[in-house]
Amino acid sequence: MLVNRFPKRYLVLSLFVISAFCVSVYFINDKKVDFNTEVKPLLNKKCITCHGGVKRQSGFSLLFRQDALAINKSGKAAILPGDAENSEMIRRLTLKDPEERMPYKHPPLNNDEIALLKNWINQGAQWGNHWAYVPVEETPIPKVGAGPFGWFGQPSWIKNNIDPFIYQKIKQEGLSPSPIADKPTLLRRVSFDIIGMPASDIIAKKYLSNNNEDAYEILVNDLLASQQYGEKWTSMWMDIARYADTKGFEKDDSRTIWRYRDWLIDAFNQDKPYNEFLTEQLAGDLLPNPSDAQYIATAFHRNTLTNDEGGTDNEEFRTAAVIDRVNTTWVTLMGTTFACVQCHSHPYDPFKHEEYYKFMALFNNTSDEDTYAEYPFLKEFHNKDSVRLNQLQTWLHQNAPSREKEIIRFIKTGQPAFNSLAADQIVNGTLEGTIWLLLRNNGTARLKNIDYTGSSLLYYKYRSWKAGGKLQIHLDSANGPLLKNINVENTKGNWKITTIDLPTSNGKHHWYFTYNNRQITNPEESGIVFDWLHFDNPFPKNGSADNTLAAQNFDSLIIATNYTGTPIMIDNPATMSRTTNVFERGNWMVKGKAVVPDVPASLGGLPANAPKNRLGMAMWLTDKKNPLTARTMVNRIWEQLFGQGITETLEDFGTQGIPPTHEALLNYLAWQLMNTHHWSIKKMIKEIVMSATYQQDSKFNNEAASKDPYNKLYARGPRVRLSAEQVRDQALRVSGLLSNKMFGPSVMPYQPEGIWKSPYNGATWNISTEGNQYRRALYTFWKRSAPYPSMISFDGTSREVCSARRIRTNTPLQALNALNDSVYIEAAQHFAKRVQSLVPQNASKQISKAYELAFNKNITEAQQKVFEKLYHISFVKYSQDSLKSQQITGNKNADPGSAALIMVATALLNTDEFLTKN
Amino acid sequence: MSKQNNKKIIQEANLETSHQITRKYFFKECFSGIGAMALGSMVGGCDWLGSKDSFGNFTNTNPLMAHAPHFIGKAKSVIYLHMAGAPSQLELFDYKPELLKLDGQDCPQSLLDGKKFAFIRGVPKMLGPQAVFKQRGQSGAWISDNLPHLSTVADEISFLKAVQTDQFNHGPAQLLMHTGSPRLGRPSIGAWVTYGLGTENSNLPGFVVLTSGGNNPDAGKSVWGNGFLPSVYQGVQCRSEGDPVLFLKDPAGIDRDLRKASIDAINEANQLTYNEFKDPEIVARMAQYEMAFKMQISVPDVMNINDEPAYIHEMYGTHPGKASFANNVLLARKLVEKGVRFVQLFDWGWDSHGTDVSNAVDIGLVNKCRTIDKPITALLLDLKQRGLLDETLVVWGGEFGRTPMQENRDGKTLPFKGRDHHTEAFTTWMAGGGIKQGSSFGETDEIGYSAISGKVTAYDMQATILNQLGFDHEKLVYPFQGRSFRLTDVHGRVINEIVA
Repeated sequence: MLVNRFPKRYLVLSLFVISAFCVSVYFINDKKVDFNTEVKPLLNKKCITCHGGVKRQSGFSLLFRQDALAINKSGKAAILPGDAENSEMIRRLTLKDPEERMPYKHPPLNNDEIALLKNWINQGAQWGNHWAYVPVEETPIPKVGAGPFGWFGQPSWIKNNIDPFIYQKIKQEGLSPSPIADKPTLLRRVSFDIIGMPASDIIAKKYLSNNNEDAYEILVNDLLASQQYGEKWTSMWMDIARYADTKGFEKDDSRTIWRYRDWLIDAFNQDKPYNEFLTEQLAGDLLPNPSDAQYIATAFHRNTLTNDEGGTDNEEFRTAAVIDRVNTTWVTLMGTTFACVQCHSHPYDPFKHEEYYKFMALFNNTSDEDTYAEYPFLKEFHNKDSVRLNQLQTWLHQNAPSREKEIIRFIKTGQPAFNSLAADQIVNGTLEGTIWLLLRNNGTARLKNIDYTGSSLLYYKYRSWKAGGKLQIHLDSANGPLLKNINVENTKGNWKITTIDLPTSNGKHHWYFTYNNRQITNPEESGIVFDWLHFDNPFPKNGSADNTLAAQNFDSLIIATNYTGTPIMIDNPATMSRTTNVFERGNWMVKGKAVVPDVPASLGGLPANAPKNRLGMAMWLTDKKNPLTARTMVNRIWEQLFGQGITETLEDFGTQGIPPTHEALLNYLAWQLMNTHHWSIKKMIKEIVMSATYQQDSKFNNEAASKDPYNKLYARGPRVRLSAEQVRDQALRVSGLLSNKMFGPSVMPYQPEGIWKSPYNGATWNISTEGNQYRRALYTFWKRSAPYPSMISFDGTSREVCSARRIRTNTPLQALNALNDSVYIEAAQHFAKRVQSLVPQNASKQISKAYELAFNKNITEAQQKVFEKLYHISFVKYSQDSLKSQQITGNKNADPGSAALIMVATALLNTDEFLTKN
Repeated sequence: MSKQNNKKIIQEANLETSHQITRKYFFKECFSGIGAMALGSMVGGCDWLGSKDSFGNFTNTNPLMAHAPHFIGKAKSVIYLHMAGAPSQLELFDYKPELLKLDGQDCPQSLLDGKKFAFIRGVPKMLGPQAVFKQRGQSGAWISDNLPHLSTVADEISFLKAVQTDQFNHGPAQLLMHTGSPRLGRPSIGAWVTYGLGTENSNLPGFVVLTSGGNNPDAGKSVWGNGFLPSVYQGVQCRSEGDPVLFLKDPAGIDRDLRKASIDAINEANQLTYNEFKDPEIVARMAQYEMAFKMQISVPDVMNINDEPAYIHEMYGTHPGKASFANNVLLARKLVEKGVRFVQLFDWGWDSHGTDVSNAVDIGLVNKCRTIDKPITALLLDLKQRGLLDETLVVWGGEFGRTPMQENRDGKTLPFKGRDHHTEAFTTWMAGGGIKQGSSFGETDEIGYSAISGKVTAYDMQATILNQLGFDHEKLVYPFQGRSFRLTDVHGRVINEIVA
């Protein structure tokens, strides 16, 4: 009605005025405040130390919206959404009295900051989701061409979808991208990035002589298809898995876990999709009918430390290993620092204290218990024994399929089993070396919560030194019902696995062992030592089928010792499962309330069909809805190729990490990995290395260097020092020493005397022979307490805990290492010989040949001069001093030319150009 | 201007300097990134690219460049003498005549209930002190006859008699002492100090480690590791046999002239690469090759004790050419004299369980004491005569203490007298570097089982060491995995009671 009383033009005008007013208000006062980029950083900086996940002064916390809007100790809520003027938080920020004004005892917020918080509260005080905690969505490719919306004339520099993301930012900063690097540089760069060392001569020649458009793509395909690809990416993953060949503490004894390293090489080479790659490592044992390889994959989380030091509490170190598995899973696979949540709710990110232990509960049911033998391990039998295993399995499959799985599992893994080190209430006995239960004469001990319902046989591994021992098992107390009377055979100190019948039983009982032996008179003499107990049933029969051979095979496999044993993860059966409690303030001795296994609520729950165990966790982690897994991996691949992540803090995508330089690109790549490439790592690598961004020349031009010294914008190609492994591999490869042998136990290349000095450990470093001393760096024996020196000086980590990224340094110790380590001297000698075999005469030509072999390109005149000068100085010196010639060449009849060429070779191996990926 | 005021101004000036150069500032304010560039080029503020010296080389490329701490510290360097294995306080410094009266009696159940021991099982016997104690010097400190020389310098020392730990295994306890965490993976105190202070002598590492006793400490090289700090801050192990620093020696067939020629060639080639790429990292590498060349002279020089005068050898009990704790102590003095900030000595073999003669508290321990008594005493006197004791903090200790009970490993009587690991009370001491002379802090009960007053922890010792060097232990932080880490984690109190 009102409308009709106004002429139409007024209406139009007034609507215009009103809407103009609204628009201006919107822009001036009511611009939508972005929580993530504007409010959260301010809260993190100014408020959250006292009002966050750790401290909640006055009961007020700004971590979750629910908490921030709640009534505090004062009886009021600090934030009233939509009403900044009456919100206590704003009032306290603006008071004059320093005792009342916030932040307490710190400089006040400035007017802009207060205005921002007011606007935010007036707009409803909405919490936003941090970018990394939002599931990955398909990201549009920026339009960067000329004309409206950039539709026309895409710059010719652009090669694939990655480039527009980079190009857009370069242009915004007023820079230009660099041209594509020359072929030899690109060859060397992409070879290090895909296979971790210079390409084979065949691949290199093929690329350099091919002048077609597709030459580079063929090169990339060739490299991705070569076996060395798996070795390079395994080197990277070994830091993540904290792979080492020793147990870690004190004696730091050896551990056999190289089968896991070989599994990684195979997995990368077969391009196992990343979701399967993770699932097998986290929960391979829980997959239906796990293969040996799937069991071995679970060694990922058996790379935790084991403490064999005398007098240790095994439960303490078992718990420490479980905690390490939780932290490693989060830091390396999901770029999140979860360790803080161990002691309190996360100070900055949306994870609650209790959620740590719910997640830990997923890991807390594995059967490893910090045992000396590192139970459980997978036995891979050799020779006759593997034939026996096949025969047995075939027989079971045909004649007793219902028992096949359980019997084979016992033979291969020894599980399920009770470890004797869990015993307590020990009288006249001890946990010998905190490894085994030992009973002396009249000794007693308790093993708790034993349930063998459904079984009728006890297998146990023990040793004894005297005949006449009597072992009794009582139920529930030392005087409780007698379960069994056993005559203990004298094994003369040798381990023996034996079997006894048990009466039928139901439910859980504590077992009380008593040991008596009249032949033992010395109260300190050992009677019996137990290792483990296992419950089973008699070997199956099937009507008239002959089970004799099968049963013999079974018996001999149980005691077989010729196998490779790799520590693996296996969950305890339901009757042996552990309860997980919250540790109050992170202290494992102070147990809080019990929790059920789960994943943090803020990252979406377990998928509907997922079991509440490690397999369910793996399903959740590799679900496309998990916001972190794909982002973390593409960021890591990017870091391997460019020397820095798109999110530089590979280990922390949270609100305290360094924000990504190209968030949209990171999301695009994560989407590609999951959806377009179906989790194929090779395809992901290929997409990145095919980009123009990657192929750029790495020279600093002045403008870009001053605007972007750290190459955050990627207006030039990556230029970074090689990794510790690459430094070694390249020297061996270029000199011609490198062994191509793959797989197998770790090897011991040359190492100076006196590096290994662990207490109570007589192990020595025995230099490998038959070419094994020239294997790639990833095969070098890795002792945690005394790692291989050149790995450490070139920024490798000691692999005690996982390392999400290495920090590159540049030190004089690296120079000394590459100049004087016998490995490099030997490489230089061999390199010189290789050159001489190709160019027997003429020093100038030998020098240029050496350069060509090192870089696949021609030496410049200026470089030639530098090395010729060194050659001549050396030649004169060695002509006058034949002893020195003999020493440097290792040859009695050495000529000064050969000696001088070694000097050139060692210099070449030390140049920045050689040690750097250009 | 009052003295107080003056001090404050200097402090502020220093604080300002340190703000400009600490990596924390660099991280937060320059928003650079450690992954972006090798560390060598990162230190020195945001304007590294602009600052060149007269040779056209970039300056401030050294992460070990000396910088100022939070305030003026009394100590410039630290010599930390760790007796790996944990020496018995009850045979050295914590005199307990009451314990002697209880010798051979069963340990009362009240001392065992709810306690965990590494090896004691069941009911052990009490073991009286296996040494003769006397009060020494003006301060009247109790020191046993096991340390006759040290007794003469008792008045230089501040004892901490109620140190406590919660780790009763060697590896974790050593880690706690040196890295502030019983688990592996944290930077060691020497790495923290080097990160904070840099080094004064660019020809020597800032943090040097010397070991003796035939084994590395139980916790391995992690007790001098860099943890999550850049590897440039890890301790450099100098050895008295073989190369003093790994790979220091030129290989046979290369003499100094040839080495010089080869480093010249390497750096000339690098200069050509720099001309082409203009990557400042190349300049940093050239500087490192030059420093390596200098270290080849300076390290063997400082590691050579042959030229020390005879009276010094007599004083320390040193024998050149032999690997010994005494030699290491003398080297420690030489190193701090040359400007090394942190010298860490580990002497292995103090684990007096009584399982054999070498670790009996009345035999093996006495012998171990003989190997340290003279050199440590000489160190204090020698530093003093050179005017260095005031600015050198000397710390002595183990990773835990030993029980007043005799060890009965696995419930058996052991062949020799020994003591088990003990967490509740043990003795360490500090001297020099602004520590009170001739004092003692903390007390244990009459049998030396529990600390009853003046309790301190590893974190408190760490906070005190950092304090003497001029650091607020709560502010020497490094951002890692989304939080600011520090040596003392969330603990630590400066033990002002022993600070002069």
